[in-house]
Amino acid sequence: MTWNDVVFMLPEIILSIGASLLLIAPVIGWRLKEASAKWAILILLAITALSVVICSNVVEGLPQTVSYSAMFALDGFAIFFKLLFITAIAMIVLLSDDFLRESRYSAWEYYSLLGFALIGMMFMASGVHLASIYIGLELMSLSSYILTGFFKNEQKSTEAAMKYFVLGTVSSGILLYGISLIYGVTGSLNLLTIAKAMSTIITNDALMFGIMLLGAGLCFKIAAVPFHVWTPDVYEGAPTPIAAFLSTASKGAAVAIFARIFYVGLHDFQLDWSNILATISALSMILGNLAALTQDNVKRMLAYSSIGHAGYVLLGILSLNAMGLRGVLIYTLVYVFANLGIWATVLMLRRHEYAGERVDDFEGLHKRAPFWAFAMIIFLLSLGGIPPTAGFIGKYFLFAAAIQSGFGWLAIIAVLMSAVSMFFYFRIVVAMYLREGREAEVAITPALKLVAGVCLAVTLIFGILPAPLINQATESSSWVAARAAILTHAGR
Amino acid sequence: MNNILSWIVWLPIAAAVILAFFPRNAVTAIKSLGLGASIVTFGLSFVVVQLFQDSVATFQFVESHTWIPQWGIRYALGVDGIAIWLVMLTTLLTPVVFLSSWNAIHKHPKEYVIAFLIMEAAMIGVFMATDILVFYVFFELTLLPMYLVIGVWGGANRIYAAIKFFLFTISGSLLMLLGIIYLAFLQYHDVGRPDFSIAHLYGLSIPMHTQAILFAAFALAFAIKVPLFPLHTWLPDAHVEAPTGGSIILAGVMLKMGTYGFLRFCLPLFPDATAKYAKLMIILAVIGVIYGALVSWVQPDMKKLVAYSSVSHLGFCVLGIFALNQTAIEGSILQMVNHGLSTGALFLLVGVIYERRHTRMLADYGGLAATMPLYATFFVITVLSSVGLPGLNGFVGEFLILAGSFKTHPTATIIAAAGVVLAAIYLLWLVQRVFFGPVTKEENRSVPEIAWNEVAAMVPLVVLMVWIGVHPNTFLRKMSPSVQKLMTTVQKGGQRGQVMVAGALTRRSAAPSPRGRGIWQRGPLPSGEGGRRPGEGR
Amino acid sequence: MANYSVLLVAALIVLSLPVLTLFVLAPLVRASRANKVKLEPYECGVPASSYAFDHRFSVRYFLIAVLFIIFDVETVFLFPWAIRFKQLGWFGAVEMAVFLAILLIGYFYAWKRKVLSWV
Repeated sequence: MTWNDVVFMLPEIILSIGASLLLIAPVIGWRLKEASAKWAILILLAITALSVVICSNVVEGLPQTVSYSAMFALDGFAIFFKLLFITAIAMIVLLSDDFLRESRYSAWEYYSLLGFALIGMMFMASGVHLASIYIGLELMSLSSYILTGFFKNEQKSTEAAMKYFVLGTVSSGILLYGISLIYGVTGSLNLLTIAKAMSTIITNDALMFGIMLLGAGLCFKIAAVPFHVWTPDVYEGAPTPIAAFLSTASKGAAVAIFARIFYVGLHDFQLDWSNILATISALSMILGNLAALTQDNVKRMLAYSSIGHAGYVLLGILSLNAMGLRGVLIYTLVYVFANLGIWATVLMLRRHEYAGERVDDFEGLHKRAPFWAFAMIIFLLSLGGIPPTAGFIGKYFLFAAAIQSGFGWLAIIAVLMSAVSMFFYFRIVVAMYLREGREAEVAITPALKLVAGVCLAVTLIFGILPAPLINQATESSSWVAARAAILTHAGR
Repeated sequence: MNNILSWIVWLPIAAAVILAFFPRNAVTAIKSLGLGASIVTFGLSFVVVQLFQDSVATFQFVESHTWIPQWGIRYALGVDGIAIWLVMLTTLLTPVVFLSSWNAIHKHPKEYVIAFLIMEAAMIGVFMATDILVFYVFFELTLLPMYLVIGVWGGANRIYAAIKFFLFTISGSLLMLLGIIYLAFLQYHDVGRPDFSIAHLYGLSIPMHTQAILFAAFALAFAIKVPLFPLHTWLPDAHVEAPTGGSIILAGVMLKMGTYGFLRFCLPLFPDATAKYAKLMIILAVIGVIYGALVSWVQPDMKKLVAYSSVSHLGFCVLGIFALNQTAIEGSILQMVNHGLSTGALFLLVGVIYERRHTRMLADYGGLAATMPLYATFFVITVLSSVGLPGLNGFVGEFLILAGSFKTHPTATIIAAAGVVLAAIYLLWLVQRVFFGPVTKEENRSVPEIAWNEVAAMVPLVVLMVWIGVHPNTFLRKMSPSVQKLMTTVQKGGQRGQVMVAGALTRRSAAPSPRGRGIWQRGPLPSGEGGRRPGEGR
Repeated sequence: MANYSVLLVAALIVLSLPVLTLFVLAPLVRASRANKVKLEPYECGVPASSYAFDHRFSVRYFLIAVLFIIFDVETVFLFPWAIRFKQLGWFGAVEMAVFLAILLIGYFYAWKRKVLSWV
């Protein structure tokens, strides 16, 4: 433990102190307005983001790339995801503002829980050791269980939290069991050591079982079939901004550790796990997209679509090549922004309690808010992977990665399911543009405008000029790619 | 003038962006700006035609800028003899649409104009792209505006039709995307750097079974777009529900993106697969010709009649393409233009009368020639052009196609020729039932004559019908060298394929070829080494 | 594998003992005189007031229980540190202080939110 170690973790330390302060500030007698909570957390997030940037620059000058007994890395991959998560949480704070104002629950508590979840996600992004990854995952999960049931008096919310909690802890247990089996065989929890130990192992049933359990636990977190059953109920029941959090930031963090563990730690066993993941990926894409067809509730539809997207992201993980790794980074970013944009639009339609949740509520939106209706089309196209939106770039990488590693059949399923997904995405477009009669009631606040505007800009700019994003993804993935023994310059 | 093609593509988009800031109720200004922009675009494309060098076979007015350097994707535009007339057709039909719908669109006129301008730009981009991914981007970009045009301004059943159109097309084009990615990998292993340029891709030598799969991926996308016989079901729905302008563009230009795709990609990229599956395509095309004609014959709805006649006429184009000889392909390209002109005009005219009577049922008409003589004249000329009367454009195209394909596929040609006869029957019967005979309905006595804007839209179309019919060489002259080059590529590819097959046969006892892996097989693609066999020149 | 088969046999024997005694031997030798009181889940002499499922406990029981567990588990972390106190030195002391501080913040929060006061 040296000062260098502190530098590695400084953003998390700052955020921990800040989030703790947010939690206790209102209860120790400081007279604070509810409205200032969002400013406090936004300033805290800005400081954290700034410290991530500064610390990453300092770390570049240091001889070591990992710290805390090789448990914690601040490489490009970690920085990429940390900044993405901070941005996502900041946008979720903006989405939550109105929602909280109408409720009688403490905004301070809510935001501090979001802060704790963010600490967990940042740990996950940085973790190169199964223990630190697991701790980060648990911190994030526990915070999100509470946030899901944050509106204690709403039955749906409580029910969702209960389901999420029970299933989530079971999956954490499975994950932990997998980790312990891997530890038993390889003698280490450090991903690099695990990889080294694995290179000498030809076959080992306990190890395979461990990898399977680990994969199952992670698949639960990213909501892949057959570990997806919690998703629609939880998204539907959770407060809408928390559903947005679960479907974007929380899922992104799970994808990050999924990629890191399988690329860095388990790459030698790719032939064994890639087929299992391919099956899971195919099932997720098929079931997620087909089930979404029949949903009338937008939150449930987005939940099923997010199951489908978990399947797409798995393409990048199971193909284990430079294209796939970059695809995971790009797709996660693109998906987070497009999805947050959609959630922002859903919240625009919110009035009273539950509106904006049914597809019908979008009817005639283009008359009331033509610009945001157009933005919604762009987000939906991006999720469907249609050019010239950023989603096309992400899908291109994932499809190319699958083809490159010989999973052509999976790529074909993926495109067919993309076409299916356009059908239910376009139900919203149909409602917004083509149905006559009702005019959607909207409550567009500056905060929602800001979120949707940022998401629109990102989705369009990276769709039309993807070169900087691709460069960034290549650079950010270089540490992981080098450890996974894949060439960064291979492919395009 | 180096980037005149970019001007043509981006001018409509720029106009659309400016229009977005116009106040909603400045309807006349919006329409004028839309019309003005499309006319200027037409003027620019006319300049391109004037400066086009007839003897050059390769892409002209080429421009190329780095777009996504990591994949070697360049924003690259260019026109050759195959594309130039289709570009011209697009820029001609867009102002025609604006003129014809000048008074017909009351709902959201601003969005209507914007949608058509973006669609125009995307369609021009499809015909001009010389980078396969740029082509794909534009190909997809045409979808959304057309979807909205059908869905917002369409008829009663418009939502169903719009979604059907969208889903059919997108499933095809997404599979094409996979084909493009795979093609890019092949090119990468061949030349060692990412390259999506169409001209460079022509140099690839691809093993037969890979060609077959890629051909299927591309051909499916294009066959849906054309639409070829079993995949045509979206077309009648889309046409019937679409507003007049949408039908004009859909039939006039968008279907040509399919036939153009065959010419630009399927033939030169996969010559062996083309040679192998040409017969299948021709059978489908001929079925389309006859089936479309027969279904047209029994349609009680004018618009549906014209829609099914499109299936029939496009069947001719596909027949010409897969006859695989110069005459037929030239005829096919000319027929694409002809179909754009005459079917576009037919949809326009059907729209004119629908505006006045709000019915498209043939039974509701009769004896209109007396009340609307000018309209009847236009209609008869257009129908004759569509039927293929000598002296008008349809004759030249159909004649060239049939003459060309007779050399290679005489039976198919003879059956297809029956389609011409059927076309004469159902189209002339259409004229008979609408314009002649006694006036059975009172309403038909007082239908207002065709208006100034509709005349203005029709005149250039009729002029071109006569021009192509009388002097087709103006048009054929420019496409000949490019078609010739295409034919050499196809034939060389065919020979190369035979060499390869022979080589593979002799080497079968040796180690299996590393390139001999299909898309289906597990395991990473081979790298390094390159796909070209030693001693095999380009 | 031979070694493990012994274990398996042992495990089977161990498992079979309670099963045999409970379900096979006991019914044979015991007197069976069932009555209402005997069939109650808790046979303690006092009539049961209600079934377990019907009764609601105050949520405060659970809060206290959770707090108890947190501080109970805390000591688990204190023991290893205490044993290695000399070797870990100042570093260990500071680390433990941070750990305790985090717990104290939680304790303080619970206190201020009136979790500890019993109404």
